[in-house]
Amino acid sequence: MKKFYSNKLAIVLFALPALVVFSLMVFYPIVQVFIKSFYDWNGLGSGTFIGFDNYIKLFDDTVFKISNKNALIFALVITVFQITLATIFALVVSNKRTKGRDFLRVSYFIPVVLSVTVVCQLWLAILNSDSGLLNSLFKALGIDYQQNWLSDRNVAIYVIAFVNAWQWMGYQFALMLAGIKSIPIDYYEAAKIDGATTMQAHRKVTIPLLKETYKICLTISLTGGVKAFTEMFIMTKGGPGNATYTLTYLMYKAAFREFRYGYGMASASILVLQCLAIILIINWLFRDKEKKVRRDTRWNTK
Amino acid sequence: MKKILVLAMSMVLSFSVLAGCTNNSNDSSAAGQDSSSEVLAEGVLSNEEATLSIYAQYSDDDTKIPYDYAVEQLKKAYPNVTLKLEVQAQDDGQKLMTYAATGNLPDIYQVALSQIENFKESGNIMVLNDIAKETGFTDKVFESAENILYNEDGNIYAFPYAGNEYVVWYYNKAIFDEYNVEVPTTFDELIAAAETFNDNDIVPMSIFGTEGWITAAMYDVLATRWDAGGIAKLDNGEGTASEDAYKNAAEMMNKLVNAGLFQSSASTTNYDQASQMFLNGEAAMFLNGQWYMTDATATLGDDVDWMYYPSYDKAAYEEGKTAWSGGGAAAGYAVNPKSENAELAAKVAAFISEKYCEAKVMYRGTPLVAVNVDVEPENEFPAMMKKLQADLPSITSITKFDWHLTNPTFKTAIEDQTKYLLVADYSPDDFIAEVNNSLK
Repeated sequence: MKKFYSNKLAIVLFALPALVVFSLMVFYPIVQVFIKSFYDWNGLGSGTFIGFDNYIKLFDDTVFKISNKNALIFALVITVFQITLATIFALVVSNKRTKGRDFLRVSYFIPVVLSVTVVCQLWLAILNSDSGLLNSLFKALGIDYQQNWLSDRNVAIYVIAFVNAWQWMGYQFALMLAGIKSIPIDYYEAAKIDGATTMQAHRKVTIPLLKETYKICLTISLTGGVKAFTEMFIMTKGGPGNATYTLTYLMYKAAFREFRYGYGMASASILVLQCLAIILIINWLFRDKEKKVRRDTRWNTK
Repeated sequence: MKKILVLAMSMVLSFSVLAGCTNNSNDSSAAGQDSSSEVLAEGVLSNEEATLSIYAQYSDDDTKIPYDYAVEQLKKAYPNVTLKLEVQAQDDGQKLMTYAATGNLPDIYQVALSQIENFKESGNIMVLNDIAKETGFTDKVFESAENILYNEDGNIYAFPYAGNEYVVWYYNKAIFDEYNVEVPTTFDELIAAAETFNDNDIVPMSIFGTEGWITAAMYDVLATRWDAGGIAKLDNGEGTASEDAYKNAAEMMNKLVNAGLFQSSASTTNYDQASQMFLNGEAAMFLNGQWYMTDATATLGDDVDWMYYPSYDKAAYEEGKTAWSGGGAAAGYAVNPKSENAELAAKVAAFISEKYCEAKVMYRGTPLVAVNVDVEPENEFPAMMKKLQADLPSITSITKFDWHLTNPTFKTAIEDQTKYLLVADYSPDDFIAEVNNSLK
């Protein structure tokens, strides 16, 4: 292995194909997004350089503010919902005393394998304020409560976030379960000998050791929330009005409906920066603690 | 000996390759060339040989029947032209834009007005003035429909097939009779009618609020009661949303929403759902284009009719009978100027547009086409269409359908903002501010 790493040519040769593909498919388009964000460009031809005009307009755009607010709500709702439930379900399913573990494991994961379109149509049928299952259920139960779930501008974004959270919770659940299974059984045996209850063992052993898994889950749900698009595109078309717009939807609107590609690219650039910032913050938060733990451990051993 | 053999074989090989090239070259030059010296059989316009790609709508009877008819007729007039259809995606023109950006535009494509403006700048659309004259298309276009042939710059960029069309306010006569409701002429009467229908679990008016064009049309209908220019005036940059007409229209739409004119799920109802509500008798009124007359008559028979748009008072109602929402635009079949067979494609585009008009008159029950065609309808026009036809000469102004708006930023804003007006607590002031922003 050491010999391999000393062979620079081999490293370059093996890494090159992936690097070329990555550069062409990911890096180059991202760079282009940033470059074109400084242009007045209609998607055809080369456009006109206009400096920061697109950004100035963007920061002055009320839809940009709505989009950011929605992205924040969406990201927080799905993060809290998915991580909380995924943790609980993963802990329950990992417990050997739980009956029907296989059934539960499959059940929690089923929504993940469904198409987003199918899931959205399913929830559209459930949430329809005139003939939807949910309002009909309230009626059948004699509860005098009817809600315009997707037509209410103050509620719609939470409802859409819930639909996303419902579908992708199973993915987080699978990650958590895999994380729990990778924890050596000896730790639990030691905890049991020390008199820890199941809850205490999870609190002191499982959760801390799932830190890396939580880091991945947080990154997925927060960045996924910020760049949400599909659910609002299918369920509300960004509406009512622009009440469920996100930055991705704003980018779509500007580029593909208004042919203002430069403005759309400015919106996309902000989105890329937001996602990068989220990743950096998460990494910094978790890395900081890792270092501290390592420092403490070294100090104690000395 | 071996060397001679190799040399001989190489020469034979080179010769055959060159010969092959020559043959291909001859073939390709033959294809796409007008064999004008040939005597053409009766009904044949050209014997030119080519395969042309075409990007066109082909999703329902209203688009499939005219297209199939046009292709059938094309086989007779251009026997050696084959059309390779790519069905147009319902994607706000994204696919077409991508084709244009990558230099892969089809030979012939259906295009909306807002995209024509884009394609003009980038040289992706052919100027069809000469072909229109040569094929006689210009002479065949109805005088009243010349606005949909010529672009604002005076050129022809697309061969239109649809004539000026109208936003029609349909109602179910049987439901109105059942609940003793008179056809509303004023907004107050409309609100009273809505109250009666709601009390009897009938949706007063179903609207497919997922589609911005219909909410924009509803707003346009209201705005034209105060200013006949409607949203077209805003699109042309001749006014702002702060003007009284547009402010009143926004306030009225908000008032109608709060009075329960539309179903509560209006924002998330699609076309099929809203149409079914009307056709099943769950809704008393419905807003759509005049093209809906055939389908509505087929299901509701004599129970369906259209009414003049209600207005703020009786006098305005009478006066507003000649001011309609709707219209046409210089859009239709365009041609890729970089096509190998651009001229032939242009002639075929003109031919197809004309045949579309024929099919629409013959099989789709609409005389509202761009070209004056000498055909008779297969079935009698629906009674509603006859009533509209009788009114056409007295129509003094029309506006624009949403898809004919030329300012894409305003188009998006008016779609989104009129959809927003379906929300009861959305303020008309916010609406005005947002629309004005899009006009800056």
